[in-house]
Amino acid sequence: MPASKNEKGAKAPFSSSLETRPFRSFKKKSRRFFFLLALFIPTFSVIGFLTIYPTVRGFILSFQNYTVFNIRRIRFIGLQNYEKVINSGDFGLILWNTFLWIFFSVLFQMLLGLGLALLMRKPFKGRGIYTGFVFYPWALSGFAIGLIWRWLFDGSFGIINDILIRLGFIETGIGFFSDPTLAMLAVIIVNIWYGIPFFAIMILAALQGIPKDVYESAWMDGANPINSFFKVTLPYIRPVLVNTILLRVIWVMNFPDIIYAMTRGGPAKATEILSVYMINIVFYENNNFSKASAVGVIIISLLMVFTTFYYLISNTKKMEM
Amino acid sequence: MKKILFTTVLLCILLSSVLFSSTTLRMIQVFSSPERTKIIENIIDKFEAANPGVTVELISPPYETAVSKVNIMMSNEEPLDIVEVSDWLLSGLVSMGSLENMERYITHSEQAKYWVDGVVEAARTVDDTAYIMPNAIYVKTLFYRPDILEKYNIVGAPRSMGEMMAICQYITNGKDQYGFTYRGIDPVNFMDLVLCSFFDDIDPACMYKTASGKIIFEDSRALEGLKFYLDLYHKTSPKDSISWGFDEQVNSFVSGLTPILIQDPDTTALLNYLLTNGVYKTAPLPVGPGGKVYPTFGFGGWGIPSYSKNKDMAWKFIEFFNLPENAAYFCKQYGALPVDSRIYDQDPYFSSEVFAGWAEMFADPETYQITAYPIDNEVWGEWFRFQGDIQERLLMNRMTPEKALQEFTQFWKDAGI
Amino acid sequence: MSVRVKKAISKTLKGLALGLYLAFALAPILWIFITSIKPPEDIYTFPIKYWTQKPSFEAYRYLFGFANFSRYFRNSLFVTFFASIVSTFFALFSGYALSRFPFKGKGILMIFLFFTQMIPAYLLMIPQFQMFSSLKLTNNLFGIIIIYIGLGATFSTIMAKGFFDRIPVSMEEAALIDGCNRVGVLFRITVPLLLPGLAAIFSFSFVNNWNELFTAALFLDSDSKMTVPVALYSFISKAGIQWNVLGAGIIVALVPTMIVFFFAQKYIVAGLTQGAVKE
Repeated sequence: MPASKNEKGAKAPFSSSLETRPFRSFKKKSRRFFFLLALFIPTFSVIGFLTIYPTVRGFILSFQNYTVFNIRRIRFIGLQNYEKVINSGDFGLILWNTFLWIFFSVLFQMLLGLGLALLMRKPFKGRGIYTGFVFYPWALSGFAIGLIWRWLFDGSFGIINDILIRLGFIETGIGFFSDPTLAMLAVIIVNIWYGIPFFAIMILAALQGIPKDVYESAWMDGANPINSFFKVTLPYIRPVLVNTILLRVIWVMNFPDIIYAMTRGGPAKATEILSVYMINIVFYENNNFSKASAVGVIIISLLMVFTTFYYLISNTKKMEM
Repeated sequence: MKKILFTTVLLCILLSSVLFSSTTLRMIQVFSSPERTKIIENIIDKFEAANPGVTVELISPPYETAVSKVNIMMSNEEPLDIVEVSDWLLSGLVSMGSLENMERYITHSEQAKYWVDGVVEAARTVDDTAYIMPNAIYVKTLFYRPDILEKYNIVGAPRSMGEMMAICQYITNGKDQYGFTYRGIDPVNFMDLVLCSFFDDIDPACMYKTASGKIIFEDSRALEGLKFYLDLYHKTSPKDSISWGFDEQVNSFVSGLTPILIQDPDTTALLNYLLTNGVYKTAPLPVGPGGKVYPTFGFGGWGIPSYSKNKDMAWKFIEFFNLPENAAYFCKQYGALPVDSRIYDQDPYFSSEVFAGWAEMFADPETYQITAYPIDNEVWGEWFRFQGDIQERLLMNRMTPEKALQEFTQFWKDAGI
Repeated sequence: MSVRVKKAISKTLKGLALGLYLAFALAPILWIFITSIKPPEDIYTFPIKYWTQKPSFEAYRYLFGFANFSRYFRNSLFVTFFASIVSTFFALFSGYALSRFPFKGKGILMIFLFFTQMIPAYLLMIPQFQMFSSLKLTNNLFGIIIIYIGLGATFSTIMAKGFFDRIPVSMEEAALIDGCNRVGVLFRITVPLLLPGLAAIFSFSFVNNWNELFTAALFLDSDSKMTVPVALYSFISKAGIQWNVLGAGIIVALVPTMIVFFFAQKYIVAGLTQGAVKE
């Protein structure tokens, strides 16, 4: 597979397999510089103003003691916030929850998204409308999704329990949110439901890009559908998969909405992931934005470490192929 | 020519702004709901009609974010003139230095003379200074459904914790009938209420201490109380009530699934809407083995930000809001207990059957001893979540009651209660 | 088994799988719709009522009458549309620069863009609020638009770069040789080719901005400036959730994103596929 160097940085699932030639250079260096600058200024001034500066401030905040009670007495307290977070006794649990949440959500989003994309690959009657209908969860807000499913999973008035009872699987309603394992299962199912369309759309696009003749030659070689999937399809969509998975991991890590709306991290912190923990600190610990920022910095650090390893691993595999 | 025109226009604008000088009061509520917003807006309309040139802009942030929003707005000195301060918000805002000392207003206010017992103390919870003008009080009581209980030949409401347990257990069939309307999320310290009812010597100023100054969680009676509390869940409540909030509670009560509920007066507004008159009744809180029970005195009120530029006008509005007829309207519609004693006499609603539970409790302060949370303690904001988390562990049998009580004791010892 | 039978079986299985997935995807929203047309007394019942004898649009009337939803809807449309258009344009420029010009530090710049995706929203909230408060930009729809542009610009840029990478440069080079200037080339040659991609970028921002809740809830005060997600969130109060009204709100809020999505889905796939097809 051709893998250009800067694909590494391009988180985009859309990085090209097409080499772009160096664009014809300007006659004058300074003109080229100013043209580039003009193109970059809007985006980067916005990012600098709204992302970088606040991030630096947030980083500083994580070493201070900002709570409602200290607003007039803010001072630096070193690593105390980090110590409090890491030594809280629940930190291990929260990390483990975060891992479960990301791993199972992304894994099944990917597998089912892939399945859906394969099914939708060949045109059929009404495919356009079908696409619109099955992809709509993506158009909902995470918060609304959480609420919808909280209603569906309700132990007494929830339709899921009612259906299970009617089908004879269970006798009385299951309290999905009163059991730690079931609660985690429930929020992950919902996240999978939400995330399938994104994967499907990305993979679908990648599938459409596979030239037909590659399959024909595989057929000539006597490949069956399963064979041709592993020998042709998978290698072709691999870059898209690799990039989309990374992107999803980052987003899912920073996606407290569904959990917050469904369980707020309960019962007994069984569904508390790092980003939910952050909100809970803000809402229920005297608006302790400093401690919350420390969790935020931890989130970023973990993602950076993960991304580095992820690319190291996925690149070595690339070379093996 | 252009210049002259320009100057004329400018002069006109200046002149008109002097002639029709208008004030806008910005006011924020924290217990927002669409209905409550309408109620307050109706009072605002009346105020605006009585005070031409004054407009009041009501800010109603979504309930769950409201407390944070008030804190953040006040700390950044965002324009605000009237701020609703719930009891839990009070100490934070005071330590921020953002609330105006209201003593000078309150001492001159006619209304303060008619406050019911406990309101003055409530207003002065922090630093013994009034930073708010209370607008309502919230005391829990027992709600029950006579129609459901009658099916099991039970007449009237349980008078004691033991009776309540017996009734709830008796009617629970584990399928479509349960007894107690439990609540696992944001417990709002129902646990404390049960625990304290096993005592007879709670400090009236702080419900986590006995009169002798001991932390209640260290006492063996707390263990009895906690075990009772857990039994109530395990034996008489739906399993998933561990994840219920107020909403699920009320709906379960309304559907009849669980005919016994302990809640704040704001439940009445919702129940009056969802149930026909007389289907539910209230009764005093069940007393514990010591023959007593300790309801807390929750309150909310209006404060004025110390940086407000319209303090006097803000006070004018607050006084207007607390006029008996307006306060009665607010309390009846929203579901709260008025702070003004005149209202209880004037408005028949507050002596109707719906208020039977409260009326009886207030008439017998020896049995129903009002106490208070240590809300002026800085750790109070953290306690809520700390306690809620341990409560969930207890309910799932992931922690023993003994261990839980140790944790509670340690928490309050560290906080220096 | 003959080939034809095999094909028929595989076709049926495929149809079945597609149907099952459709049911899985649609069931929740269908249930929310049914809840939204139930009268209040039919919502909490034992046993659950799967249909109501007296469907009513009371909840919808409540939304637009009592709750002033049309106002929130207009605000949301304004903010979302404005912010999405602007961030799409920003992304068009920066994505173009990143795709077409080799320069020092480009790799680092891409990593940096990537990095911004890792920042949790709550880390930015207080610093942003302090900043906007001192600029008097709180309780201001334009303030929210600025924030949304910031939220969208990064990912849109990354997307745009990807789309540009897929469009061969040969046409642009030809036009340059013909004497067209750079801005002209961008708008006359490249942008028309990139339209599907731009539609994808726009709809992506649109969905995100339309649904944004926590920033709007903190930065906007006045009822007259409220956006739809905040209004929906307001139906959750201490007194619980009005499920029929919330359901109606969710259904109504879904309409614009669905419209954008129905229009865009063709382009999204097309835009993503573009380069490869041209190969």
